Amino acid sequence: MVKVYLKYLKLHLKSVMQYKLSFILGFISQFFVFFASYFVIISLFEKFGSIKGFTVYEILFTFAVVNIGFSLNEVFARGVDNFDHFIKAGKYDQLLLKPVNIFLQVLGSDINFLKLSKLLQSIVILIIALVNLDIDWSVFKVLIILNMIAGAFCVFLGVFILNAAYCFYTVEGLEVRNVLSYGGREMAQYPVSVFKKEFATFFTYVIPFAFINYYPLLYFTGRESNILLVFSPLIIILFVIPCYYIFNISSRKYLSTGS
Amino acid sequence: MKQYFTYFKISFISGLQYRVSALAGLSTQFFFGFVFIMIYLAFYETEYDSAPMKFNELVTYLWLGQAFFSLMYLYHKDKELISMIRDGNISYELCRPQNLYWKWYIKIFSSKLSMVLLRFFPVIIIAFLLPFPYNLSLPNNMFSFIFFVISMIIGAFLVTSLSTMVHIIAFFSLDEKGIMSMFMVIADLFAGGIVPVLFLPKFLQLIADYLPFRYIFDLPYRIYSGNITGMTAVSNVLIQLLWVFVSIGIGYYLNKRILSKVEVQGG
Repeated sequence: MVKVYLKYLKLHLKSVMQYKLSFILGFISQFFVFFASYFVIISLFEKFGSIKGFTVYEILFTFAVVNIGFSLNEVFARGVDNFDHFIKAGKYDQLLLKPVNIFLQVLGSDINFLKLSKLLQSIVILIIALVNLDIDWSVFKVLIILNMIAGAFCVFLGVFILNAAYCFYTVEGLEVRNVLSYGGREMAQYPVSVFKKEFATFFTYVIPFAFINYYPLLYFTGRESNILLVFSPLIIILFVIPCYYIFNISSRKYLSTGS
Repeated sequence: MKQYFTYFKISFISGLQYRVSALAGLSTQFFFGFVFIMIYLAFYETEYDSAPMKFNELVTYLWLGQAFFSLMYLYHKDKELISMIRDGNISYELCRPQNLYWKWYIKIFSSKLSMVLLRFFPVIIIAFLLPFPYNLSLPNNMFSFIFFVISMIIGAFLVTSLSTMVHIIAFFSLDEKGIMSMFMVIADLFAGGIVPVLFLPKFLQLIADYLPFRYIFDLPYRIYSGNITGMTAVSNVLIQLLWVFVSIGIGYYLNKRILSKVEVQGG
C-alpha cells in the first residue's frame, strides 16, 4: 500500500516539475493569500491586549498547530476534498475497477504541492510563537505539540471524508461543505472557550476541535497539570474511524452518473 | 450603446441561473458571519474600551459585508475572460467592432450584480431578525440611509473598474496567479476586507486614506451605521466618485496601450 502511494507521489512530483515557473508563482501567491489569515490576529491584538485570558502568542500557537494540520490535508488529501469530481464525471467507476483500496486511490489522485507554502508559513509562525511563550519545557510538552498536530490533521481529514461521503447522495458537492472544513478551520484557530456555550459544546462533542485547541493548550501553557491532557488529542480517533465507516457505507449507495 | 445593453442582459440572465448554489452558499455565509462576530465579541467582552468602533457598528459592518460580498468582492475572476486570454480566443473578440474595455466592464459588472441580487436579500432579512447582539441594526437615520445607497452604487462601479483593470493587466502579463493574487491581497487589506479599516494598525490606516480601496465598501458600510456622518460623509463620497473616474481612465488607457501591441496566445 505504501509503495503504491509513493508511486503516486513520484508521479505528481514529476508533473509539477514540468511547469516550474508556474509552480513558483503559485507558491508565492499562496504565500500572500495565507498572510491574510494571520494578519487578522495580529491587527486585532494590536488593539486588544488579550482574548478571554489568552495572549497573542498563545493564539498564534493554536493558529499554527491547526493550520499545520489543515495544510497537510490540503497537500495530501486534496483528492478527498474534491471527491465530487469523481462522482460527477463518472470516474468513480474507474476506481472500482482497480485492485487497489479505493480510499488510497482517492488520496493518490491529487497531491497539491503548492499548499506546502502554507505549511511552511505555519511552521515559521509556530516557531515564533514558541520562542515568545514562556514554557516550562519537558518531554511531555514536546509530545503534546506532536499530538496536537496529529489531532488537527486527523480531525480535518475526518471532516473531508464526511464531505466526500455525502457526495454519494447529492452528486454535486454543494458549498455547504465549506462550513465544516474551511469554516471549521477559521474557528479552530481560537480555543473553543472563546465562543458561546452552544457553539463550544458542538465543537467539543460532535466535531472535537476542543481536543486539539483547548484541553491540550491548558496543559501546554501550564494552566492545568493533569498529565492525561497530553493525550487528549488522541480522542480524535473516535471521530475519524466512524467517518471512514460512514464513507464506506455511503459508497454502497453509489449510482453511476454514466457520463 | 444598445449592443452594450444587450450584452448586459445576456450576462445578467445567465448569472441568475445559479439559484440553488446561491441558496447553498447562504449557510456558509451565516456560519462565517457568526464565527467572526463571536471572535470580535470575545475581544470586546475582554476589553471594550480598546475597541475603535462600537460593537453594533461592527456587527452591522460584518453583516453588510456578508450580504454584499459577491458585489464588493475584490478577488473576482471572470473565468470566461481568463480562459479567453489563455487559449487565444481573445483574437475573435478583437475582430468585433466594439470597445473591449466597456465590453469587459459590463460583463464583470452584470455578473457581479446578478450574483448579489440572488444573495443579499435573505442575508439582510435574517440578520435583522437575529437576537441582540448578533443582529444587523437599522440605518442610523434617513440621511445615512440615502448616502449609504448612493455610496454603494458608486462603490459597485469602483470595484468593477478596479476588477476590469486587473483583468487587463492579466491579459498583458498572461499570469493571473502570482501578480494578481498579490495585488488582490494588498487591495483587500486596505479595503477593510480582512479587518475593518479602523482595526488596521495606525500607519496602514494612513496609507489606506490615499488609496481607492477603502472607498469600495468600508465607506458605505460605515455611513450606514452612522460611524461616518455629516460633511465627512459628503466629502468622502465625492472622493469616492473621483476614484471611479480615475480608475476608469487608467483602465481605458492601459487597454488602448496594450491592444496596440498585443500578442495573442496561439493554440
